[in-house]
Amino acid sequence: MNRYLPLVLIAFGILAFATLMLVIAPGIQMAQRTVPEGLRPYSEQESRGRKQYVSLGCVYCHSQQPRSPDQAPDVERGWGRPSVAGDYVFDRPHQLGTMRTGPDLLNVGVRLPSESWHLTHLYQPRAIFGWSIMPAYPYLFEEKAEAGPEDTVVVLPEGFGPESGVVVARPEALDLTAYLLALDRTYPIPEDALRDDGYARKESGS
Amino acid sequence: MPITMGLLLGLSFVVSLLALSFLIWAIATRQFALDRAHAATVFGKGGADGPDTDGTHLFDTTGIDRVSARPVRLLILGAIFWLVLGSTFGVIASLKLHWPDWLNQAAPLTFGRMRALHLNLVAYGWLSQIGIACMFWILPRIFRTPLRAPQLPVIGFWIWNIGVALGALAFSQGWTDGEEWLEFPWQLDTLLVLAGVFFVVPLVKTARAREVDHIYVTGWYFLAAMVWFPCLFFIANLPGIHYGVEEATVNWWFAHNVLGLWLTPLGVGTAYYFIPKIIGKPIYSYSLSLIGFWGLALFYSQVGIHHLIGGPLPTWVVTLSVVHSVMMFIPVIAVAINQHVTVARNLWALKESLPLRFISFGAVMYTLASFQGSIEALRSVNTITHFTHYTVGHAHLGAYAFVSIVMFGAAYHIMPRMVGRDFAHPGLIRLHFWLVVLGFAIYFFALTIGGLLQGLAMLDATRSFAESVILTKPWLEARSVGGTMMTLGHILFAINVIGILRKPRAIAQSAVAAE
Amino acid sequence: MTRTSKQTASRNVKPGEDFEPWESHNRVPLLVIWIALALGVWGTALLFQDQSSYSVAQGERAADEVAAHDAPEGGAALFLANCSTCHQPNGVGVRLAVPPLQDSEFAKAGPEVVAQIMLRGIDGPIRVKGFTFDGHMPSFAAALDDDEVAQLASYVAGRFGGADATLGRDQVGELRDAHAGSGSWQGGAELAGLVPGLPTQPAMPAMAQAGPDPAISDLIFAGKGDVWSCASCHGGLGQGAESTPRLAGLSQGYIVKQLRDFRAGERQNEQMSFVAKELSDFEIEGVATYYAGLRVDSTARPALGGDLARGERIALQGDWSLGVPACFSCHGPSGFGVGADFPALAAQQPAYLASQLAAWAGGHRNNSPLGLMDRISRALPESDRRAVADYLASLPAVPAVEQKAMARIEGGGDEL
Repeated sequence: MNRYLPLVLIAFGILAFATLMLVIAPGIQMAQRTVPEGLRPYSEQESRGRKQYVSLGCVYCHSQQPRSPDQAPDVERGWGRPSVAGDYVFDRPHQLGTMRTGPDLLNVGVRLPSESWHLTHLYQPRAIFGWSIMPAYPYLFEEKAEAGPEDTVVVLPEGFGPESGVVVARPEALDLTAYLLALDRTYPIPEDALRDDGYARKESGS
Repeated sequence: MPITMGLLLGLSFVVSLLALSFLIWAIATRQFALDRAHAATVFGKGGADGPDTDGTHLFDTTGIDRVSARPVRLLILGAIFWLVLGSTFGVIASLKLHWPDWLNQAAPLTFGRMRALHLNLVAYGWLSQIGIACMFWILPRIFRTPLRAPQLPVIGFWIWNIGVALGALAFSQGWTDGEEWLEFPWQLDTLLVLAGVFFVVPLVKTARAREVDHIYVTGWYFLAAMVWFPCLFFIANLPGIHYGVEEATVNWWFAHNVLGLWLTPLGVGTAYYFIPKIIGKPIYSYSLSLIGFWGLALFYSQVGIHHLIGGPLPTWVVTLSVVHSVMMFIPVIAVAINQHVTVARNLWALKESLPLRFISFGAVMYTLASFQGSIEALRSVNTITHFTHYTVGHAHLGAYAFVSIVMFGAAYHIMPRMVGRDFAHPGLIRLHFWLVVLGFAIYFFALTIGGLLQGLAMLDATRSFAESVILTKPWLEARSVGGTMMTLGHILFAINVIGILRKPRAIAQSAVAAE
Repeated sequence: MTRTSKQTASRNVKPGEDFEPWESHNRVPLLVIWIALALGVWGTALLFQDQSSYSVAQGERAADEVAAHDAPEGGAALFLANCSTCHQPNGVGVRLAVPPLQDSEFAKAGPEVVAQIMLRGIDGPIRVKGFTFDGHMPSFAAALDDDEVAQLASYVAGRFGGADATLGRDQVGELRDAHAGSGSWQGGAELAGLVPGLPTQPAMPAMAQAGPDPAISDLIFAGKGDVWSCASCHGGLGQGAESTPRLAGLSQGYIVKQLRDFRAGERQNEQMSFVAKELSDFEIEGVATYYAGLRVDSTARPALGGDLARGERIALQGDWSLGVPACFSCHGPSGFGVGADFPALAAQQPAYLASQLAAWAGGHRNNSPLGLMDRISRALPESDRRAVADYLASLPAVPAVEQKAMARIEGGGDEL
């Protein structure tokens, strides 16, 4: 090969083709499908919490895309039904994630609906799960001698809280928890829902 | 079975196949005969100018290197700075996975931010920058003409590094676009794009002014990467238009193409240049070069969605990426034959040249990383490895053992030619080599084994999720050991490079080319 | 390949600095082309294979959609699907546990009475054909529409009571409106007002009308300083979700035993141990009593992609080829639970049930009496665990529902 322009043009053309196939065509296909009726947009507080989730990098350890029972036992772990493209239309930026250092969170609000559980767990995961390797987030909380009337006090077992006084949640912790509790994709899906069905097989015997 | 839209779209794979068949046909019927006559005569006017006489460029026989030296020196120094910083953050992130309560008192120190810092600093600060340095060194040489507009890349260098530094600050403050590989806030992306213009313009001008007919294979990779990366970067970072799963496809289309169409061409191109350069023998086959290059373009560009196998997006896109991932065997085998045969016939050169040791080690790792990647993309394998540390091990096999180690070798080759004297302590280079190779071996095998065990545990409903976490801990600790060794190697690398730059000239006069 | 190597192998000298790389012209090894061909064929085949997977999954989704809207047709089919697991296919009931329908006073009273019982369920002692039963019948008001109730009531009254009359959809609609919000029939005593000429019905036992002790109520709804509230995870009505179990209607003895096991470390769950460690015996018993007395409709539905027909077979008949007995042989007809050792399974959250079966199979839960569940769970393959959990989730909750409670669930859990 000895010419500059054809080389560059063909290289560009190939990338354009790949973009058409990997980005534009599936984008159009997904945009045409019905949005599930049970899905609702995030509230203002939940959106703030989502920003916390993004900025703290939760996505590096937690996926938000339960797999199909054809492939993996995600449903049995309580992570929820296999998700479909329509479940994410309000997600900007997407947080699908590619790691499960921790469990999938797409339906954590259903599986663990307790705000006070989440506050304990965010303040110090090892207060609940001794084996956990999740970071603690003490800076989302503050220590006070005494809780005010508006304060949400964090439930902590002995040895995990301050020696005197209480730990109360800052607004950031409450927002983040509100987002986690809003994670609920257990509603039924429309028939034209899209997902990767590559693992589906005709079941023998039925 | 009904013929659906998805199937038709999936058959676009056939388009790639046809293109490849056409290429093979063209090669077989000597459509490239005209090129072939030129291929052996790349080297035209060299030597005519006589060796450089002022003593500062002992190795620079043509005066080309002198012009490139300034931007290349800056880019290498900048790259090393981010490498040391970025890998330190990597080690911190790694340690945090088994010491979760360590360094935990402020948000900037949390794992999620350390990891983003590590990835972006090594991807954009180190790998991209050292790769661009290699472009500026190699392209003028294979075009046999000095770099045009050499002051532009210096400006580009500053803008790029300011962009990366601001990005680092932004992540630590939690300002991020929130997608893996695309964390840079789009406002800062504009800085990187601007810097890119300052890099591309001089290279294009140099390419157009070239004094050879034939463009050597390295040039194909570099010129194409210069088209690909800006397109990818621009589309993926457009604010406000991507959302939901579509954004996820853009995310992984980009993230894998950053590896496949940016870092890989940089690494493969650099290896393609330095292996024959150091050995002094031609590359095995021009036809294989063609298959390797166009195969990479056709297949690598469509593999990204294998990061979302089993996810909430149309089956056909996933399958398309799986198929293309496996097709990557073809270009990889072509490149492997071309490069490894050349090295294997000249094993003597490995003993004589330290840079070649790095580069050919890296080239072998490219083959292995690609084979592993193709196999990992198979649905049956991916079910186990997806969502586990295995993937992290694979990513480092590609980005580190291949690209980074090739780049170490390239820097060790370039530096003496740039400053006109040799490294004073080759032993430190050897130490660097063994630190990073052994460190990486520990790193890779720990994550691969740990990741497989983790994946198998997660697939078994009778084992609790806790088990999949607990069993990885010793492997994560081993990874920290490996990562620390690699980082020590990087510090040594920095010492070596700064050492050769600082050495007084008087001693340099007696230095011999120790390649 | 060898030709070139001979030419070059002899010249192992370091090149001059002015050497620039170039490419020689060896042919492409045939192997590369064969590999390319083979991969091309394989790739095309894979496209078609995955396409067929897509068709399978799409078919399943469509079938789910249909199943959600089309229950079995006709009185006989509806009876088999909804009534026969307790009342038995021939309507003779289960001695001392489930009243017979065959020739019962209530079936003879005609379809209108049957429909009213179905719409509200029964919660209290009832005397049928000379035997007294502890009546715990679920309400089918939510599970069946007017048309289905009409068909079913006509079928039951006709087949078991010999009644000629049939009921229309509109009449059921009127009955439904009339009974909306009235809760379940308080045993035969209340039904006596509906069916004239019944034999004497047993009186309702005095219910503890007072709510739970304020300390227990606080624990359930607000938590204590060192534990989260029960309701914060298990829901305001103990209905549970996903891997968090439904507690409403589990027997008091069962809940007490589990909490004690969590406290003693004999049943492992980090979160429940966290809570149970802080509970006194008094609190454990209070909480258990509260949840055992809750009447809450099912919020569970099949969600694990299990084969419901297979699940039904395991629940009703077991699978002797695996050595698995029928679930209902211990857990009672329709899985409504027997004593402290055999918890209610009907309407339990499927992810919870499957996770517990998996935990027994994997040895993470071992507090089953005599290790019964350990052995059974190990015998069930993964798909059967999902199938049976999904089937049990499809059953109506027993005992019946207190309408006020459902209104509270549907009105939003915020106040709880």
